[in-house]
Amino acid sequence: MKEKILTKNFGLKNNYKIEVYLEQKGYQSVRKALKEMTPEQILEEVKKANLRGRGGAGFPAGVKWGFVPKVDKPKYLCVNADEGEPGTFKDRYIMIHDPHLLLEGIIITSFCVGIHKAFIYIRGEYEIVAQRLEQAISGAYERGFLGKNILETGFDLDVIVHRGAGAYICGEETGLLESLEGKRGHPRLKPPFPASIGLFQCPTVINNVETLSNVPAIILKGAGWFCRQGLPKDGGTRIFGVSGMVKKPGIYELPIGINLKDIIFKHAGGMKAGKKLKAVIPGGMSAPILRADEIDVKMDFDSLVEAKSMLGSAAIIVVDEETPILEVLKSLAKFYSHESCGQCTPCRIGTSWINKIVKRMIQGKGKKEDITAIHRLANNILGNTLCPLGDAAAMPINSIVEKFSEELESTLSN
Amino acid sequence: MVKIFIDDKPVEVKEGTTVFAAAEKAGIPIPHLCYHPAFIPEGSCRMCLVEIEGMPKLELACSTQVKEDMRIWTQSKRVIEARKGVLEFLLAEHPLDCPICDKAGECKLQDYYEEYGLFDSQFKEFKEKREKKVNIGENLILDCERCILCTRCVRFLREITKTQELGIFNRGVYSEISTYDGDLVNNNYSGNLVQLCPVGAITDSDFRFQIRSWFLQKGDSICPLCGRGCNISIEYHPGFARIQRKKRVYRITSRKNPQVNDFWICNLGRYEYSYFDENRLTNFISNIDGNNKGLDQESALQFMVQKIRKLYNTKKTSRIALILNSWLTNEELFLVSRIFRSDLRMERIFIIDPPQGEKDEMLLTAERSPNRKGAQEIGFDFKALNLEELSKATDMVIIFGEYLINQFNASEIKTALEGVKTKILYSSQDTELIPLVDMVFPTAIIAEKGGSLTNCEGKIQSFGPVLDSIGESRPEWQILLDVGKKLRINFHYYSQFKSPAAVLEKMEEEIPFFQKEK
Amino acid sequence: MSPEFSEQTKKRIKEVISRYPKKEASLLPVLHLTQQEFGYIPIEAERSVAEMLGVKPIRVREAITFYTMLHREKMGKYHIQVCSNLSCSLLGAEKLIDYLREKLKVEPGETTPDKKFTLSTVECLGACEEAPCMQINFDYYGNLDKKKIDSILADLK
Repeated sequence: MKEKILTKNFGLKNNYKIEVYLEQKGYQSVRKALKEMTPEQILEEVKKANLRGRGGAGFPAGVKWGFVPKVDKPKYLCVNADEGEPGTFKDRYIMIHDPHLLLEGIIITSFCVGIHKAFIYIRGEYEIVAQRLEQAISGAYERGFLGKNILETGFDLDVIVHRGAGAYICGEETGLLESLEGKRGHPRLKPPFPASIGLFQCPTVINNVETLSNVPAIILKGAGWFCRQGLPKDGGTRIFGVSGMVKKPGIYELPIGINLKDIIFKHAGGMKAGKKLKAVIPGGMSAPILRADEIDVKMDFDSLVEAKSMLGSAAIIVVDEETPILEVLKSLAKFYSHESCGQCTPCRIGTSWINKIVKRMIQGKGKKEDITAIHRLANNILGNTLCPLGDAAAMPINSIVEKFSEELESTLSN
Repeated sequence: MVKIFIDDKPVEVKEGTTVFAAAEKAGIPIPHLCYHPAFIPEGSCRMCLVEIEGMPKLELACSTQVKEDMRIWTQSKRVIEARKGVLEFLLAEHPLDCPICDKAGECKLQDYYEEYGLFDSQFKEFKEKREKKVNIGENLILDCERCILCTRCVRFLREITKTQELGIFNRGVYSEISTYDGDLVNNNYSGNLVQLCPVGAITDSDFRFQIRSWFLQKGDSICPLCGRGCNISIEYHPGFARIQRKKRVYRITSRKNPQVNDFWICNLGRYEYSYFDENRLTNFISNIDGNNKGLDQESALQFMVQKIRKLYNTKKTSRIALILNSWLTNEELFLVSRIFRSDLRMERIFIIDPPQGEKDEMLLTAERSPNRKGAQEIGFDFKALNLEELSKATDMVIIFGEYLINQFNASEIKTALEGVKTKILYSSQDTELIPLVDMVFPTAIIAEKGGSLTNCEGKIQSFGPVLDSIGESRPEWQILLDVGKKLRINFHYYSQFKSPAAVLEKMEEEIPFFQKEK
Repeated sequence: MSPEFSEQTKKRIKEVISRYPKKEASLLPVLHLTQQEFGYIPIEAERSVAEMLGVKPIRVREAITFYTMLHREKMGKYHIQVCSNLSCSLLGAEKLIDYLREKLKVEPGETTPDKKFTLSTVECLGACEEAPCMQINFDYYGNLDKKKIDSILADLK
């Protein structure tokens, strides 16, 4: 395979300690960016690399940074380490096994956009990970890679680890901003976009952990190299997280565009003994489900959109034939109804209503109208909500109801 | 200015206007629940979704700004589907309380269901059970099952009164509005929450179960309880033939006026309307013994005028004292000025008002009468009254209003008035003053007459009568016109006025402050 | 009548507040410190925290009731949070939850009478490659089966 970008240090012991990281020629990209490049050059390079967001939405990072206006206000970087999308665990690995790679990405991004304060919003459950991050940050401060006058370039940057407290909606960028400001995580109306009005009403860049961790490689090896590791319009690799009924669940850094079948059967060892594949969720729970006959698909943003699903957080959940599809639907309905913030009508009541119907179906009291009802309700949520959580709930639920209608009907009482 | 099309209708609006405001200008209503012009758009009810050409998803009318050549559809198939969807979600977890809910008849959910819904319920699950009668403030009852979480109440207390008594607890479908334990909503503007709430979640305990909203008639008026002159609606029951109602007025609500009170009124103006019906003087009262017993109002007025004429002819009008108040309208004060200052050349004229109170940071002024500025501009001064002055008016004391009893006690007044030959009172309220005078003429309250008032910032606001006068009571302007004519000093001048509006027109000519530009 | 924060915690809270451009933004970190100090967030602490941050107490409670990791009631010494989301469900989380219910004799949301264990079901913990998994206080445990659970709980004093 082509070179590993993100996981190359994962086997190193104590890599979070600055001395160990520096031994691997660490912080070279920071030196190059801060001492040999201008912010405009860095922005150009990242744009050319076609680095798309690895959090779920897939928005091009360079374009996002370019939206930040040149105003006389402090600017902020929020690193989205909330990792709430079910099935996703890749950012946890980066932060535990190579936190300095993330810090390098943070420093270069901040230098490019003119940011002097970065917050790492990490989900509250990742307390041990947060402590590891703080140790790495401490080391970086000690050696002058953070704080005042980094590498004698006059550039200042502070990084603060901010723990969440158990809310999936705080992984949504404006929900994250509200939470970081000390309030309930209620997403905001867009426009205005965070790039102009974000944290404390100031221009803010919000990027996922994995997205930022790719920036050092782009700086060191160039945009062209980065694109060649993946696809021309979708540069680099992804850390695919495989879980469910496979022999070897775990993380696999592979080029963007690799076939889903290869990930499951070549890398993750195929199905567990005696299990047959029924369905795959390709991009975290919010991605519409794929039937067994639909998994011959390339894992990149555009191909999956064509297949009526999405790459999302590249979290692959493999479902076997013995698992009733109603169980999968139950997990979905329960999750979104539990995580809905409650602000807007369709999501607040729609997800709860669907959950109540599914609960009734699980108890064996489902009727034919219930399946059409779920479909209708999901369509009433789709596109009508304040933030993408509504769509994230409606699309996968719809996909199950559409693709597995026969199996669902067999669970009905009439 | 930009030109846009709403439902094919061209509209021109300023740049930066929202679709909602543009539609309002074009006369096209867009249903909305969480949106309120006084607050920053929230975008959470999703009721105002409209279709905009070129945009893939439906967009919110309340927060989307128009651009040149935008084409907006408010009745397309997609929009109607979305509205029905939102309504269905709201009604799914909404209790079927209409038969016992005060808001029925003026409830947005009912109205929108009638216009955009009319579908059968498909909700076959159990609705969430919540508290239905939470006391969240002095006059406020919260029903959490009816609440649709539009958060207008929370935002009002955050953005307008800045007191933040209400908040949202829990998450998702379990979200609820609540106070912080015992910190209830007890600020002077809490009554506005009842009007703000689009459904019957926040109701007024003052109004609870009193009357159905569709039996009420509304009339525009001005609140007279302080110098602000907030615009109000008096909501009253015109009277059912078969059913005896104990009171006429059931509630006072606020009317929008961006130059005076925005959308709000304070609790004083909202709840202090007992004086409309309680302790009212309805009949003329005569306390005189001897020849003049058995006077009626008409002949009593004649009697008074004759006495004044005699004093005028003998140049002894200095023996008359006049007590006024600034609850009188501009027109009434003007007529008083013409009659008693100009025609009769009197000097013993005093203004006695209700005592001042605490002002607050929003609307309520310290002065508790509506027309002090008007009185000032018409030329009256507010020199203090001592009772000695009153007793020097040996021939006649004419008192308008009952506020003398707020400043002095009954026995003091009685002593002061002992040497006065004729004591006349014009009042709407039954107070301890009644036995102290010779004649009492019942007068109408502001809600029962027309005229204008000048608020503390100099704004002149005209209003008409909302309620009928009761019993024999008459508005002061009518009484004064009669006095003016009967005095025969300037008969033709007073004959020209047939209404308060005519008087105001004259004031515009004679007093610069009242000229039309104001 | 504020609860007594230890001097060390008071110092840490002060330091945390100073890192943020606006005091209010430090709400979640301060609440975490409060919960670590007392095991939950007492009502009196709501007012203390509100005062420290210059906000109204109602805002503090709004946040506490929104976030699932913040508790208004005392938890057991060990808070067992079992993931009930999809990947863990596929690998038998339901059976393990039932096993814990039987073993501890409590329902999810309840605490054992000796106040040692509180059992909860939670959504995805972000450790799906080790499904089925659970979190006890801050520690993750994966690849669970009944035997493993027995051994883990036995080790918790």
